[in-house]
Amino acid sequence: MKELLKELSLAFGPSGCEDGVREIIKSYLMANMPTDSEIFEDKSGGIYLHIKGEGKPKLMVCAHMDEVGFMVTHIEENGLLRFGCVGGIDPIVLTAKRVVFESGHKGSIIAKPVHLLSEGEKDKRPKVENMLIDIGANSRNEAEKLTFVGEFFTFDSDYVEYGEGFVKCKALDDRLGCAIMCKVISDIKNGDLSCEYDLYFAFTCREEVGFSGALGATEMIKPDYAVVIESKAVADVFGVSDQKKVCILGDGAIVSFADLGTIYDRDFTRHVMDLCERNEIKYQVHRVISGGNDSRHIQTNAGGCRVALLSAASRYIHSPADVVHYDDLDAIYKALSQVIANGERK
Amino acid sequence: MERIKNTLMELCREMTVSGYEYRAEGKIRALCGDIFDEIKCDPMGNFVLVKKSKLQNAPKLLIDGHFDTVGMMVTDIKKGGFLSVVNIGGLDTRVLPATEVTVYGKQEIYGLVTSTPPHLRRAGADSVPKLEELYIDTGYSKEELEKIVSIGDPVGYRYVFTEMNDGYVTTSGLDDKACVCGIIEAIRDIDVSQLKYDVYVTISAQEETGKNGSARAAFGIEPDIAIITDVNFASGDGTPDYECIKCKGGASVDISSLTDRRLTRAIIKLLSEKGIKHQIICEPGRTYTNNEGMLVSGRGVRTAVISVPLKNMHTPCETVNLEDIKSLKEILSAVMYEENL
Repeated sequence: MKELLKELSLAFGPSGCEDGVREIIKSYLMANMPTDSEIFEDKSGGIYLHIKGEGKPKLMVCAHMDEVGFMVTHIEENGLLRFGCVGGIDPIVLTAKRVVFESGHKGSIIAKPVHLLSEGEKDKRPKVENMLIDIGANSRNEAEKLTFVGEFFTFDSDYVEYGEGFVKCKALDDRLGCAIMCKVISDIKNGDLSCEYDLYFAFTCREEVGFSGALGATEMIKPDYAVVIESKAVADVFGVSDQKKVCILGDGAIVSFADLGTIYDRDFTRHVMDLCERNEIKYQVHRVISGGNDSRHIQTNAGGCRVALLSAASRYIHSPADVVHYDDLDAIYKALSQVIANGERK
Repeated sequence: MERIKNTLMELCREMTVSGYEYRAEGKIRALCGDIFDEIKCDPMGNFVLVKKSKLQNAPKLLIDGHFDTVGMMVTDIKKGGFLSVVNIGGLDTRVLPATEVTVYGKQEIYGLVTSTPPHLRRAGADSVPKLEELYIDTGYSKEELEKIVSIGDPVGYRYVFTEMNDGYVTTSGLDDKACVCGIIEAIRDIDVSQLKYDVYVTISAQEETGKNGSARAAFGIEPDIAIITDVNFASGDGTPDYECIKCKGGASVDISSLTDRRLTRAIIKLLSEKGIKHQIICEPGRTYTNNEGMLVSGRGVRTAVISVPLKNMHTPCETVNLEDIKSLKEILSAVMYEENL
């Protein structure tokens, strides 16, 4: 799973530009599709695998393929670029970070040197409208040969394993969900996992900008149950009170009862927790009502369905250094496998 | 240009946070052993590299570039594998959240400066976090971390070297390794038979923490003239044009009350006559370079300052154009061949 996670995370895929990610997933699905399953795509860019289970309840497992990123909005006379954010990015993580375009051109987010800032300016939170991208163009004319207004780009960040089981890259939100789903699919193909649902895996688009591909997916599939695999912003760093840490990296899969978008199905969520308890899978409960994700669209669409969330605690989410712990990914993988193998709660 | 880039990468790869310059002695000897006649490392961590001319009693020309960079130092090992740090030199703390670093303990380990999500931050915080509110996330437990890292260990930005368009490169430590690179490359290609000076290159220590190194090095050398090379603000990053120089405009000659007027004028005249690309920057008061310490070293030294334009000073994304390093190299060569300075 690590190799696939790396390949997926390094792929270029800000919201609306998921093509590269989808191609990786597509070829993985082609090579790992179980018998009696079918791959299909929707018109908004989502890709699906349906593993048929006639007469069984419908379960949709969902992860999004897109990542946060940026768009060029204006090219200055001196060749520097103005930009806007695709998805929610805290400007505090932007200054002096590297960026990369789909073409491979690189740049950095620049700011006035600290030496030349007034006392008032030094402490002020930066604003995106005051930032510029330097791509090494000396004029607008030169810049226009390298990029164009409307081009998307992302953080330039490599895949680094560090400390005891941590991994850092851009876009782990939510390529980790995609990678876990892929791993479960190959288990089903290999006969290592039985499937007690009419099962759909949905790899969706545009979660980060809110108008999610999960909407269409839900209308098309009309699931009875859905499990969303996600990243969860946490603050488990030194100096933050325990109450505000939300969850802890390495303490297992996060199960949520509520976030700002969704009140999760209580019975289904309890069922997931029971399965974790019974199989000694590490899990933790989401302890602050924060964040939101595709679940909202899935729960409220097409007549509604029972939704549970399994997420990985993520430090510095939506920055070039998205960090998660391998143990948590493993726990989500195991929990999801148990959900699929056990079917509805009897 | 490829060789300039390679030398620059070799220099930037080394962690030389102020006070730790000596750690790169092996790299300096490997890079410069074939180029210079003599290489010494003094007790402060200054490297003094000598290139002799063929002349008897040639005057001494000192060329200085500082090797040290801003960085951090570990002050405590916290629960959960987090390190608290203080700055070494004028660190730009605005850029720290979610920035990659390397911690130099018993082994080198990867670290990330912490950042908390906006919705979980203390209410109403409209200011950037201060260094004492930030920690380095190492991913180790406290117990494991204590085996690797000690209080006092240095922390530098993680080495990542990125090439952009048109000869622009971005990495940390280009202040002042861009100039050190230009100096080494100038000496590499020097025609000794035309050399008018015994050249003493100081790749000096502790500039960022008070310009302490080079003045001590100069004291031992007693140069007749000294050229201090450092970076200066380049336009484009929000710096007003009148306070800075332009990337790709060539290295600049600084005119300041702290530089030697006769020497500075002679260099500008020389470059103009020979048609060597350069620009001028005015620093009416201080230069904030090693020139300040060297000026008053021993019986005093005649100094001039040559600058390479640099964007994003003191961040992990310092940016220079390789052309400007080549320009520094050409300017230094012209100076070394010119006796009337």
